[in-house]
Amino acid sequence: MGKRTVKGSSLGRRELLGAGAAATLGAIASTPRGASAQTATWAARPAAKVDKLNFVVWTYGDIYTKISKKFQDDWGIPVDSTISSFNDHPAKLMTMYAGGEAIDVSQSSPFSFPNFISQGLVEPLDSFPGAADYVKDFTDSAKQVAMVDGKLMGLPYFSTVWVWNYYQDLLEKAKFEPFKTYEEFMEQIRKAKKDKICDYPVQWVAGVGLEQLPGTWYQLTWNRGGVFFDKAGNHQLGAGSIARETLKWWVQTFKEDLADPESLKVQFTTSAKAFSAGKNIYRGPNHHYGLNICNDPKQSPIAGKVKVMGSPGDGRTIGDTHVYFITSATRNKEWAWKLLQYLGGKTQDGQYSQANNLARDAMLGSGFNSVMNSAAVTEGWKPWGDPQKILEIWGKATYIGEMCNSLYKPWHFPWTDRLNIEVQKALTNQISADVCCDNLIAAIKDVQR
Amino acid sequence: MPGATKGSDNYRFGREMSPRLLGVVMNLPTLLTLALVLAYPIIYAGFLSFHRVALGDLRRGVYPYVGLSNYERILSDPLFLLALKNTLVFTAVTVSAEVVLAIAIALLLDQKDIWTSRVTRFLILLPYAVPPIANGLIWAFMYNFESGFLNRILFTFGIISHPINWAGHPSTAMLALTVPYIWRTLPFAILLLHAALAGINRELFEAAAVDGATAWQRFRHITLPLLMPVVVVLLVLRTSFAFTVFEEVLAITQGGPGDATWVAVWFSYKRSFAPPFDIGLGAASAWVLAIIVGVLAIAYVKTLYRRIT
Repeated sequence: MGKRTVKGSSLGRRELLGAGAAATLGAIASTPRGASAQTATWAARPAAKVDKLNFVVWTYGDIYTKISKKFQDDWGIPVDSTISSFNDHPAKLMTMYAGGEAIDVSQSSPFSFPNFISQGLVEPLDSFPGAADYVKDFTDSAKQVAMVDGKLMGLPYFSTVWVWNYYQDLLEKAKFEPFKTYEEFMEQIRKAKKDKICDYPVQWVAGVGLEQLPGTWYQLTWNRGGVFFDKAGNHQLGAGSIARETLKWWVQTFKEDLADPESLKVQFTTSAKAFSAGKNIYRGPNHHYGLNICNDPKQSPIAGKVKVMGSPGDGRTIGDTHVYFITSATRNKEWAWKLLQYLGGKTQDGQYSQANNLARDAMLGSGFNSVMNSAAVTEGWKPWGDPQKILEIWGKATYIGEMCNSLYKPWHFPWTDRLNIEVQKALTNQISADVCCDNLIAAIKDVQR
Repeated sequence: MPGATKGSDNYRFGREMSPRLLGVVMNLPTLLTLALVLAYPIIYAGFLSFHRVALGDLRRGVYPYVGLSNYERILSDPLFLLALKNTLVFTAVTVSAEVVLAIAIALLLDQKDIWTSRVTRFLILLPYAVPPIANGLIWAFMYNFESGFLNRILFTFGIISHPINWAGHPSTAMLALTVPYIWRTLPFAILLLHAALAGINRELFEAAAVDGATAWQRFRHITLPLLMPVVVVLLVLRTSFAFTVFEEVLAITQGGPGDATWVAVWFSYKRSFAPPFDIGLGAASAWVLAIIVGVLAIAYVKTLYRRIT
C-alpha cells in the first residue's frame, strides 16, 4: 500500500504519458457520449406520431399559453390545456380520468399526490431518457415529493418556503423592530391594538385549504420544535404536545381580536392582496412568493414596503414542492415525457425554460438546485424582495412531510378536511384547542377506515 | 286524384290512434330523454352506492360490492348528520321566507292601478337571470369584512359601529347563505303566485267588498285559499331545490367557518370529488338526501294538496 503510494506519487514519463492518454481517451469516451445523450434527451424527436397532446393543470397567469406555444413551435404538435382553479383541480382531473379521457400530463400538490398515485393515475418516470439526470439536480424538497418508494413519479413545478411579512410603515409608526420571539410578537400586537396603530395587527393565512390554514399551524409548530406525526407515523397532538400548545397560542390572537377576521377566509393570493391594503403590521407564515403581489406597484398601494422576515428562535421553517407528472391515461408515453419536460424540466434547447420563467415572472422557487443557484432567482426575485434574505430562510426550511408524515398517505387529504373544520371551530371559539386536538386524534382512525 | 292519394296516406298505418295511445306516443320522446339524462344517472348512482368505488375505479370498471356499508358509514358519520341538520334549517328558513315574501310581493305586483308595479315586475326577474355561482360571488364580495358593500352601508347609516364578519363567523354564516339564496330564487316563486293571482275571478273580491269584508278578510278567505294549490306546488319545488343548495356554499363559505355551513350536497361533493374520491360514499349520501326530499314531497301532497283539492 505504501509502496504503491510512493510509486504513484512519482510517475515516470512513460507512465505519465500512458495515464494522460488513458484520461484523454476516458474523457473522449465519456463526455461526448454524455453530451450526445443530453442532446438526444432534450432535442431528439420521439418516433411515434401524435396529432395533439394535452395537460390538465390549475391556473397560474399565462404560463401555460406560453409553454404550449413554445412546444408547438419546437415540435409542431398542438397542446390542448384544461385549466381550473387550484381547489377544483383534483376533481377536474379525476372526473376526466374516470370519464375515459386522454390526459398526457397533469400536476399535483404534495398533498394530493399520494391519492393520485393510489388511484393509479401516475406513471413512473425512471425508464425515460434523462430522468436520472433530473434527479441528480433535484433539491431535497423535490426529491421528497417526486420520489415515491424509490421511484421517480414527477418533475418539480415549483418550490416554496414559509416566511413572515411585515408592513414597514406601520411597524415604524408603532416604533417596533421585527419581533425575535413569540412573546415579543404578542406584546407588540397587543400594544399596536391598544395604541390604535391598526385594528388587527396580524393577518394569518387561515382559509380552508390543504396548506393554508393547516400550513400556518404546521409552520408555527415546527418552528417551536414540534411535529404532527413522528417518523413512525404516531400523532403528536396529545395533551402537552407542542402542536396543541401552539394552537392554544394561535387561538389567543383571535380571542383578543388581534387577528384580522378575514384571516379565516384568505388563501395565499387573497391574503397577499388583503395585506396590500396596508391595514395589518404582520402577515403570518405564508408562501414566500406572495411578495410578488404585495410589492407589485400595479397590484399594491404599499408596494416596496412589505418586507420578508424569518421565524423566531433558530429560524426553522417548512417548505414544499409541487410536481408535474405523466398520467396513465396518456396518448403516448414518449411524447408525454417530452411535454412533461417542457413543464417540469428542460426544453429543446436544454434550458429549464419554465422554471426560469416562473422564477423571473412569478418569484417561484424551483425544485432544481441549478435554477435555485442561478440568476433567475438571485436577480429575478429582486423586483419584489430581497433574494438573499429569502434564500437564507430557504436554507432553514424542511419539507413539510418531515414533520407531518401523514402527507405520504392517501388518508392525509380527508384528515386535512377535518383539520380545517376543527381548527376553524377553535379559532372562532366554538370549541377549545384541547377539544380540537382530541377530535383530530379521533378523526385519524375514521379517515384511515 | 290527388285528394284520394292524400286520404289514403292518412290511413296508411291502419286505424286512427286512440287518444290514450296517442298520449303515450307523444310522451315517449320526453320520457326517453328524461330516462337518459335523469333516471339513468340516478339509478347508476344508486348502484354505485352499494359498491366500494373511487373515481379512478370508474375508468377500470372494477369495484367490489359492499352492500349497505356505505350507508352505515354515512349514517354514523357526525359530519353527515350535522350537514343534514344544517340543510333542514336552511330549507325551513329559505322556503318559509320565500313563500311569505313571494305572496306579499305578488300581491303588490297585482295592484294594477300602481304604475310602478309594471317596472317592479320587470326588475323582479333580474335576480333569476343571475347564474347561481355568480350570485354567490357577488354576495361574497358584498360580505367582505372590511371593504364589503354591506358593512359600508350599515356603517354609513350608523347601524353598526364595527364591521360584521358575515360569512366568517359561525353565528352569522348560515344567514349569510340564506339571504343570497332567497334573493336568487324568490322571483320564481313570485312569478308562480302572480300568475295564480291573475287567475282569480275579480268579482269574488268585489262581492266580498260589497258585503263589507276588510282587505285582510278578503285575503284570508278568498286569496289565500285560492292560492293554496300553487303554494303547495311551490313548497314541493322550493323544498327540493333548497335541499340541493350548493353554489352559494361553494362561493361564499365553503362549508365554514368550521362546519357551520356544511350542507348535505357539500358533503356529497367533498366525499365524491375530493381525495380519496369515494364516489360510492358520495352516491350513498346523495341517495339518502333524495329519499328525504321524496318523503317530504309526499308529505306535502298528502297533508296539504289533497286536503285542498
